Amino acid sequence: MHSTGLNTNQIMRQVIYALVLGVGASYVFFGWGVVLQIMLGVISVVVVESVFVRLRGRNVMDSISDGSAILTAILLAISIPAIAPWWVVVVGVAFAIIFGKQLYGGLGNNPFNPAMLGYAFLLISYPLQMTTWPVDFLSFNQAVEVVFNLLSFDGLSGATRLDDVKTSLSLGNELASLQVHSSSQAWINAGFLFGGIYLLARKIIFWHIPVAFILGIVLMASLISVFDSQQHLPIHNHLMLGGTMLGAFFIATDPVSASTTPRGRLIYGFLIGVLVVIIRAYGGYPDGVAFAVLLMNMTVPLIDYYTQPKAFGRS
Amino acid sequence: MARFAFKGGVHIPNPYPVRKSEIKQVPPPEQVVLLLQQRVGGEAKPCVKLGDRVLTGQIIAQTTGKFPTNVHASISGVISAIEKRPIPHPSGIDAMCMVIDSDGKDEWIEIEKCDKEFLNCTPDKVIQRIREAGIVGMGGAGFPTHAKITNAQGAHTLIINATECEPGIMCDDSLMQEYPREIIRGIEVLMHACGAKKVIVAIEDDKPEALNSLLMYNFNNRISIEQIPTKYTSGAEKLLIKALLGIEIQSGAYASDHGILCQNVGTVKAIYDAVIDNKPLISRVVTVTGSAVKSPRNYEARLGTSFAQVVESSEPNNQAHHIRMGGMMMGVDIPNAQYSICKITNCIFVNNKKPQPTVKECIRCSACAPVCPVNLLPQQLYWHSKSENIEKALEYNLTDCIECGCCNYVCPSNIPLSEYFSFAKALERKLTREEQRIDRSRERFEFREYRLERNKKERTEMMAAKKKALKEKMAKDKEKDQEQKDKIAQAMARVEQAKEDKNNA
Repeated sequence: MHSTGLNTNQIMRQVIYALVLGVGASYVFFGWGVVLQIMLGVISVVVVESVFVRLRGRNVMDSISDGSAILTAILLAISIPAIAPWWVVVVGVAFAIIFGKQLYGGLGNNPFNPAMLGYAFLLISYPLQMTTWPVDFLSFNQAVEVVFNLLSFDGLSGATRLDDVKTSLSLGNELASLQVHSSSQAWINAGFLFGGIYLLARKIIFWHIPVAFILGIVLMASLISVFDSQQHLPIHNHLMLGGTMLGAFFIATDPVSASTTPRGRLIYGFLIGVLVVIIRAYGGYPDGVAFAVLLMNMTVPLIDYYTQPKAFGRS
Repeated sequence: MARFAFKGGVHIPNPYPVRKSEIKQVPPPEQVVLLLQQRVGGEAKPCVKLGDRVLTGQIIAQTTGKFPTNVHASISGVISAIEKRPIPHPSGIDAMCMVIDSDGKDEWIEIEKCDKEFLNCTPDKVIQRIREAGIVGMGGAGFPTHAKITNAQGAHTLIINATECEPGIMCDDSLMQEYPREIIRGIEVLMHACGAKKVIVAIEDDKPEALNSLLMYNFNNRISIEQIPTKYTSGAEKLLIKALLGIEIQSGAYASDHGILCQNVGTVKAIYDAVIDNKPLISRVVTVTGSAVKSPRNYEARLGTSFAQVVESSEPNNQAHHIRMGGMMMGVDIPNAQYSICKITNCIFVNNKKPQPTVKECIRCSACAPVCPVNLLPQQLYWHSKSENIEKALEYNLTDCIECGCCNYVCPSNIPLSEYFSFAKALERKLTREEQRIDRSRERFEFREYRLERNKKERTEMMAAKKKALKEKMAKDKEKDQEQKDKIAQAMARVEQAKEDKNNA
């Protein structure tokens, strides 16, 4: 991406900077837990990556300094509830780096998005810890006490907004009776959206994936709402709740595991959007970004193969 | 302006622009080293001996074959060596060279003047003069010009490539400013030689002076001088044709298949010298540029002059240098300045040595794909070339890669992608050769098997036929025997009868 004049390390760093707005919004609503999770994630990723890179006989400094591992850790840490116990993020990061990246041969060789692989692993293994979010701003001391199990978090926590909706709907409540507008989540999504626009403006990511992703969500959500409007979320909620914007601009656009051809990126992004809505509406988990991304990661070789552009002189 | 843009390419500003258009003449050197290896036709065979005295412009070696090319002495003096010397080539191999020690006189050989105006010569005659002058593509490709013109006989359009193929090279720019009259005349010679009715001279829009000087001398309404946007790789023949005419030449086809002949503007000047001035190709314009020289500029030097002598005039600094022949994108890195200028040396980059940027892993960011002028997926090609999976690389159109290096230029991980592709192509050629060899030996083997089988069959058939014939013969013989016996018996009977008759009587 020389149009930006950046090298790989600088690109990774730019992506990390672009996360600041969304992370800031998270901090405003959930408090110090957010920061704590990121710190835990980054520390454990440095340790895990160093050990494994050394085991593979590669240069540790080169690997850490490219920033990709740290980016993975941050993406995972901000997907994890701010009050999850400390070992959740550590286990998740370790899984992401070892099974999601290093065993495939390190940066550039992993078929799956490591952060999402770690997230899916955590969600399946520790569903309780992974779906309990703080309901209020936590001070630094409160966050430390909760994250390190010094305090029971019962009084401080609740389910996520999407989880709430899902549970209530399954209990037979009508959508209209629920107050779905969750301003905190909308603000966080807006933060990631602006960060994503920054990346687009700097030409660090291509427009195809986020645009197709959002289009996929809009189309699929409208399709569902036509047939089943009482039971499902309206489109704007799909767009501004859960991991939509983080997924559209930061997760699905991970170049290593995404499709690489222009047409392929459109298909890839669009189908992730469609899958996200399907999983949210009919799946067993409240949010579907991680599973949608992982499922589409598997199809990338196929998409890439069939969407090759016509070479010059071969039309 | 070019009407039909092609996708991709990168805009790279000239890092060290030359301020003056003037072409500085480098005096004939004490010694020249002339390369005998030719682009087509292999190695030129010397037609003078060690110790012979040669004159400037004398033919000293020739290639034979379909497209013979000549090598001329670029100074007068004595042949002091015919031996292998290192040549500026990516492989770093040595090749046969001829060394002439100057006698300081620069005495020219008597060249047979063609007293006729070129328009009164047949095109064949003009092409023959181009051939005798030893002209090859001066843009860097080095393909024999006469062969290219012969192949494109009857072309309708002649394109003069004045785009200066790579950023940093400025020799064509200064040629156009210094010799506009000669270039227009040279174009007319070419038109006569190939029969083209229309000529387009393509100049990039960052060279307004060159454009103006050509416009000033162009009074031929069949020659149109057009500006095209400055973009790297617009100098590549097929892409230039696409940009000017909108014709996309298919993979594996040539411009001549569409009735188009493309020639570099430097070649046109050489054609002028050969046909109008009767001078063979013994010198060329070279740009000396780079971060280590104080005054980048253009020189006209005799072929075989050492790089060092030309570089000297551009006031290089005293640091360690990194020398590169050709442009900053596709040039060839060479270990030192002790190499000599050959027909395709359009530029010498003299850069300060600096540490190479570290190469990181490919993160599949695909920044390489939009800049690829031939619309490949360099990132996928890299993956397959690196793992030497040639079959897969061919599926991704490896052979269409023009090795322009745009992908290297934009790669955030500093991966030298085009080097991998050039390696993969070499591997592919080797595999194809091997496959052909295997095919041939298999064919030979199969034919031998077939032949043995056939012989065996023929023999059995022959034997059977013989046997049959023999049997028939034996049967016939038997019959004959029987007949004979019968006859004898009849005769005996007759004799017996006669005896009896006699006795009775």
